[in-house]
Amino acid sequence: MPHLNRQRWILVAAIGSQLAYPLVAAQPVDFDTEIMPIFTKAGCNTGACHGAAVGRGGFRLSLYGSDAMFDHRSIVSDLEGRRINLAEPNRSLLLRKSTETIEHGGGARLDLDGQAVERLRQWIREGANRQTTYRLVELTVSPTAYVAHMHETVLLRASASFSDATQADVTIWTVFSAEDPTAVEIDDAGRATLRRQGRHLVIARYLDRVLPIELIVPWDDSVAEAELKLGRDESQFIDGLVDAKIATLGLQPAATVTDQAFLRRVKLDLIGRLPTVEEVALLGQQSAPLDRNLLVDELLQSSEFVDYWTWQIASLLRIRPRPEDHTGALTYHHWLREQIRTATPYDQLVRQLLLSTGDTHEVGPANFYRTVRGPREQAELTSELFMGSRLRCANCHNHPLDRWTQDDYHGLAAIFARIQQDRVITESVRGDVSNPRTGEPAIPRIPGERYLNISDGRKALANWLTDVSNPYFAKAIVNRLWKSVMGRGLVEPTDDMRPTNPATHPILLQRLAEDFVQHNYDLRHTLRRIVTSQAYARGRLAGSTHGDNVRFFAQAHVRPLPAEVLADAISDVTGIVDRYGDTPAGTRAIHLVDPTVKSDALDLLGRCSREETCETPTPTGGLPLKLHVLNGDLVNRKLADSDGYLALALKSRRSTSEIVNEFYVRALSRQPRPEESEFWRAALDVNLADRTGAFEDFLWSLIACREFQTNH
Amino acid sequence: MNAFPRCDGVLRRDILRVGGLSALGLGLPGFFRVQRANAATTESSIKSNAKACILIWLDGGPSHLETFDPKPHAPAEVRGPLRTVPTQLAGIHISECLPQTATCLDKVTLIRSMTSPLGEHNFGTHYLMTGYKPTPVLEYPAFGSVVAQTRKPQDILPANIAVPNFRVGGSNLTGHGYLAPEWRPFSVGSDPARADFQVRDLDLYKGLDLRRLDRRRDFVAALDRFGGLAEKYSTADPDLERAFRLIASAKAKQAFQLDAESDRTRSRYGRKTIGQSCLLARRLVERGVPFVTVNDRGWDTHENLYTRLKEGYAGAPVGVGLIPSLDLALSALIEDLENRGMLQETLIVVMGEFGRTPKLNTAGGRDHWPRAFSVLLAGGGVPGGQVIGATDAVGESPADRPVTPGDLAATIYKLLGVDPATELVTNDGRPVRVTDHRSRVIQEIVG
Repeated sequence: MPHLNRQRWILVAAIGSQLAYPLVAAQPVDFDTEIMPIFTKAGCNTGACHGAAVGRGGFRLSLYGSDAMFDHRSIVSDLEGRRINLAEPNRSLLLRKSTETIEHGGGARLDLDGQAVERLRQWIREGANRQTTYRLVELTVSPTAYVAHMHETVLLRASASFSDATQADVTIWTVFSAEDPTAVEIDDAGRATLRRQGRHLVIARYLDRVLPIELIVPWDDSVAEAELKLGRDESQFIDGLVDAKIATLGLQPAATVTDQAFLRRVKLDLIGRLPTVEEVALLGQQSAPLDRNLLVDELLQSSEFVDYWTWQIASLLRIRPRPEDHTGALTYHHWLREQIRTATPYDQLVRQLLLSTGDTHEVGPANFYRTVRGPREQAELTSELFMGSRLRCANCHNHPLDRWTQDDYHGLAAIFARIQQDRVITESVRGDVSNPRTGEPAIPRIPGERYLNISDGRKALANWLTDVSNPYFAKAIVNRLWKSVMGRGLVEPTDDMRPTNPATHPILLQRLAEDFVQHNYDLRHTLRRIVTSQAYARGRLAGSTHGDNVRFFAQAHVRPLPAEVLADAISDVTGIVDRYGDTPAGTRAIHLVDPTVKSDALDLLGRCSREETCETPTPTGGLPLKLHVLNGDLVNRKLADSDGYLALALKSRRSTSEIVNEFYVRALSRQPRPEESEFWRAALDVNLADRTGAFEDFLWSLIACREFQTNH
Repeated sequence: MNAFPRCDGVLRRDILRVGGLSALGLGLPGFFRVQRANAATTESSIKSNAKACILIWLDGGPSHLETFDPKPHAPAEVRGPLRTVPTQLAGIHISECLPQTATCLDKVTLIRSMTSPLGEHNFGTHYLMTGYKPTPVLEYPAFGSVVAQTRKPQDILPANIAVPNFRVGGSNLTGHGYLAPEWRPFSVGSDPARADFQVRDLDLYKGLDLRRLDRRRDFVAALDRFGGLAEKYSTADPDLERAFRLIASAKAKQAFQLDAESDRTRSRYGRKTIGQSCLLARRLVERGVPFVTVNDRGWDTHENLYTRLKEGYAGAPVGVGLIPSLDLALSALIEDLENRGMLQETLIVVMGEFGRTPKLNTAGGRDHWPRAFSVLLAGGGVPGGQVIGATDAVGESPADRPVTPGDLAATIYKLLGVDPATELVTNDGRPVRVTDHRSRVIQEIVG
């Protein structure tokens, strides 16, 4: 067997039967499928080495081996062919450098006696040719998911099928990289040893394919899988899948929250408001438990839902006025609110955006084409919004971690190249973007799919995106909906979905997307699904020490209220509203069309200006915010205002405990517990001389405490 | 009000304590309250010179070819539009826009052979500011946060301050990484170059006094206790706690009063943001703040580099661009610290996230280039008059002595008295070294 470790099998079709014969050295070494993986495995074609845009040391390879033709030319033809010595393969520069027989800036990447060098030598001996007679069809790995014990070693295997119906074990040519190398140690032979509890990812890379492998060391082996509730209603697929993962990970889910806590949580998530005093009081008077499903339905049909989700989607779409032109943004915002109000299916909403033309002062969705400037930027925005995918990496080189090529990127940009991004959006007859790979105008292209030869590329794109079988569109939005109410996306970041960044719950994401499509792309439907699940209603675990409890939804995710929601909540608790710029009195922060209207408070609270994506919020808060909460207008002005709830309460001569109760309900949506009542009686009644000041400080502390400032 | 016990053990009178200066006197043991798994490391083996660090961060990636590593003999498209000036060091030239800095190279170590594979702002910034390449599983803490946390117990002034802010590398870096959020840099939030510069919300709101501040503190601590949502690492909200203490200390707040400096001093630093920020940094360090980041933005010069780096505006008679402003600020800072006898104990680091491409692009700018760039170190026990490493003829790759950001991080930590092998603990309990185990201290600097 001249070909070491090359177990290739060929299927021979015969009449009436199919037999598999081992293939014995019948074929020469294939450059594309047998030589290329060597460079990837040894790290030769990374961005830090020869994969850089300018190469390294005069030798350039395509990044992660994305272009075999280029690499073959680089190796065989460039440098006057000195990299290859056909007569004496061992004297080839390619071998002498990579084994550091002569000086090599990257050190010894290959073992002189190893299989890789043997294979390279064989290939050179055979003429260093590139004959593309077959190509890789499919890569499979095993295991794809595995539950291990601590310090157990798992053998990872990779197998490739080729277009000539052969298969090969390609384990030793596959790069296995652990997301967390301190948790999973992997050697060159694919043996992975687990060093940490929890769920860990390994990415397998062979040629242009990447596949994730999930390795789990349960936190607690004693958690019985038997506790899984079987025979659930199909509509409860969320809990079936979340609970299965919790059990596999050996986590213990937290108990369901009380009706009071659920009311606060679901109102904040669905309408961005705290429960009213009346709602909390009503809950206390009823003997029957809260009908949570009924509550959710009422919220979904409310006008506050329309306001809040208009704000959510407007943030996603980055609706903001232009410096000289506020009318476009107002039109856009008004249009969006109408779509949310009338429950336009999300695919229809996006079609309107993509296909719009006309005067941006009259046609709301046409403003989509004024969000960013230029076809490439439009392609990036479109891919991030509607595919949850960062195509931008493929501007200068094929995406190293995803399937996107430069042709995909510039092809998508070419679809937008003829759009005139002025006040009136029109499509002109000319306009193109050049593809830096070819130096020619890019050919319009559906990313990863096909070239377009029709003039209306936008329609083809819209049809493809909103087709029921599109693999990206529904997932991108349901992941964002999930994040909005659960605190964490199934994929994070939400605009970076790719095979090398898989979901924590891949099947759940798939099911949510299918369910969304089956229910006519209805945002309310999917939100209802999620917030009526057990997973949504979980409380917190005392003394939880690791992130997997939150990552896998065994407990609630405590998260800060969004800037605008918090500002509105402070107004609601004190009874004093803020004025934003020249907007009408009573305008809530959530209603603002202009995310840059002057407001120090909103800036310090960390609102998104929508100039860039709002999906990766800038870090804010900290000391500057605390200083402002203590010393600034945001809270102080509202405490002392004679029209505020506190001034009214103090004037009413009600008892200390009655006032304490009122503001507990307003701010925390609950009654004080006995020890809290005791504390406040002691703290507030001793300050008769300064009763107003003491109560102001009481209300201040309610607003400054964590329980108020978070959804929990 | 003392009926309400404080969980962090901080005594009430602490808020009236004079801020700042005591940190300068803080002995070595205070630096090492962190858990260290490396038992072989003994405190006596660590030599500590620098008590503080001022990091002048040139955000966007400064061109090494236009600053500290010019190539006057290279072809025009590499050489670029700027000339060079000689320095005190024989054979060493730097940019014509750095004449004052050229006269203080005897107090400086220049590294010309920095190299990194990361040419994207966020990634490069993460690598340079933490010494670790970014990974999806863990955000590492930047120098300032590590230093701040190792110097507990803290003083009234925040131990990690950013002037004017910490919007670096595309704004995605929190700074504190896996450490508790209280160690993130405190952004002063306004521009020290403005006539009306002041740090917002430091003065008591009308009607408030220290007694009421104290009461608010007790009330909110009680609510956080009742609510059961306190973070596991502390019961009191540490940022709120620091806000209380800072507001209560008139003395600490004086640190931010730039108008207490003479007009002459203010002019010597230059009236641009970077100059006045460096001056503020000196005032802060003087009062015991161990880490200040001066964040100078705008170095991402993809186009029209001549105007942006040298002139400041097209046709300026005297260059007031980024490099002349850096020149004034840096040379003034070195001089001022030396005059005050503080240079030996104050480490100055000047860097950005990467260098720029050797060839000018068609827009008269240079693009991202991480493979070779320069970093300048001064004070804090750094030997003067030293140039480490060199690039090739066009500034494309290190020609010898490549230094990685990890090596630089190890060196900075070592200079600041933090053993690079120190292990910090993430909030899920895993130990992580402050620098990568492959990082090597630069022996030419820390002998």
